[in-house]
Amino acid sequence: MEILQQILSFDFLLRNSLYTSVLVGFACPLVGVFLVMRRLVFMGVALPQVSSTGVAIALSLPLWLGFKLTEYGPHSAHALAFVGSITFSLTAILVLAFLERRGRGQPEGRLGTAYVVAAALSILLLSKNPYGEIGWLDMLKGEVIAISNFDLVLTAAALTLVLAALGLFHKELLLVSFDREMAIILRKKVVFWDILLYLLIGLTVSMAVLSVGPLIAFGFLLIPALIAHQYARNMRQFTFQASLIGGATAFFGFWIAYRWDLPVGPTDVVLLGALYATGWLVARLLRGNLRHAHKT
Amino acid sequence: MNESLIKLENLSIGYNGQPVLSGLTLSISRASFTAILGANGSGKSTLLKTLLGLLPPVAGRIDTASVGAPLTFGYVPQSNQFDPVYLLTGFDVALMGVYGRVCSGRLIPPVERAFTRECLHAVGADDFSHKRFAELSGGQKQRVLIARALTTRPDVLVLDEPTAGVDREATTAVLEFISQICKERKITVLLVTHDFSAVRHYAEKVIWLHEGKVFHGATDELLTAERMAEILEIGMG
Repeated sequence: MEILQQILSFDFLLRNSLYTSVLVGFACPLVGVFLVMRRLVFMGVALPQVSSTGVAIALSLPLWLGFKLTEYGPHSAHALAFVGSITFSLTAILVLAFLERRGRGQPEGRLGTAYVVAAALSILLLSKNPYGEIGWLDMLKGEVIAISNFDLVLTAAALTLVLAALGLFHKELLLVSFDREMAIILRKKVVFWDILLYLLIGLTVSMAVLSVGPLIAFGFLLIPALIAHQYARNMRQFTFQASLIGGATAFFGFWIAYRWDLPVGPTDVVLLGALYATGWLVARLLRGNLRHAHKT
Repeated sequence: MNESLIKLENLSIGYNGQPVLSGLTLSISRASFTAILGANGSGKSTLLKTLLGLLPPVAGRIDTASVGAPLTFGYVPQSNQFDPVYLLTGFDVALMGVYGRVCSGRLIPPVERAFTRECLHAVGADDFSHKRFAELSGGQKQRVLIARALTTRPDVLVLDEPTAGVDREATTAVLEFISQICKERKITVLLVTHDFSAVRHYAEKVIWLHEGKVFHGATDELLTAERMAEILEIGMG
């Protein structure tokens, strides 16, 4: 309890890391729900990694072009990383979604290749980069430590924007995902809504990768949605439960990591994995009991 | 009754500029019940999708007799095409029909929700509309999809194989209901099927697609044993 009081206190040194983790925990599952429904789970794995490659390439640019980032203000590295992350996320999601829609080739193969190449490239680039040494490699490993007020505000603003857009346009995004033909017949601009959804996914992934790294981003995008899907009875429950599981796991994961001096990212993801396995077992038991009750 | 609502003029339909059927010239009357018949691969669904605007015509034109706003189509697709991963209830699915009238970013007004409940009641789906759509039987899904088509307040109700995977009793009930709706609400019905016998008693007109040819006319004239044998090129002894 002492630890809990400590991390909830306003003077807690790592409070920005806690707030950011919880924000990402609440927000990522909201777009993750759409990835699960559109059967784009593999994209949820590959995208954070591609986004982190964008960060690595953006941070390598000063090195390649021969200028020092420190001369451009305290937030220049973060701004550059954000540009790299969002550019790569959006390009990847639009290209992969386009290829998916054309239905040619092997989508799993493309996404798997994108994932491993992106992962390897990120580490290679940052290991030879002076900015890599000052925290970006830690970020890629899921160490949520050095989060400034600027990072926190940026993450909160971007995720609020995503939340607002998902809330406002939920019915359109749901319709084009569930029944594209119906959406066309109702004269909805399906390409526009598809692109908006991809933009929201791309923005969420970019912000999550920048704040907490690709490992947690992937974990929070998909696992809470997969857990919630086993229990939810309708779309509203699915969305709220997924978001709640994400936010709560982020909080308790942080608590556990702080208590036992563990890296936050891997702790969160392992906790989510344990929840998923437990949830799966409980769901099976409940269904078994229900079937038994029906028979008797 | 005989006022023409949709006119096809020398229409060619197909995919990627390759025609599946050519030279379609016919008209569909307002408030009529027309069955589009044909074997698998005959072009029924392609014709349907072209009429709905899901596919562009390869050549020719489709004229509608609508004044002001374009025609509203209430589409009932095959019920097995939906991914069960969506946790939507029957009511959620039916409610999608009103999305066309609600602006983006706006909440669905209570009056539209009430209208959706009315449509679900009209098709006899109130008892199971709260259940997960994916868990409904084929016949129940069809009813929900018909309710969704009705919530669009359609000029034309378009049904793609509504009796596929549905038992004979349910088929009769669905067709009976559609026929009744068509008369009561003065809605034009276009129904695609390969089940000649099922629609014989309900459709007034038939568009029969057979081996690249199109036969159309009144059901009583086209679905006689002699005429069918002639089209199918079967000797009558």
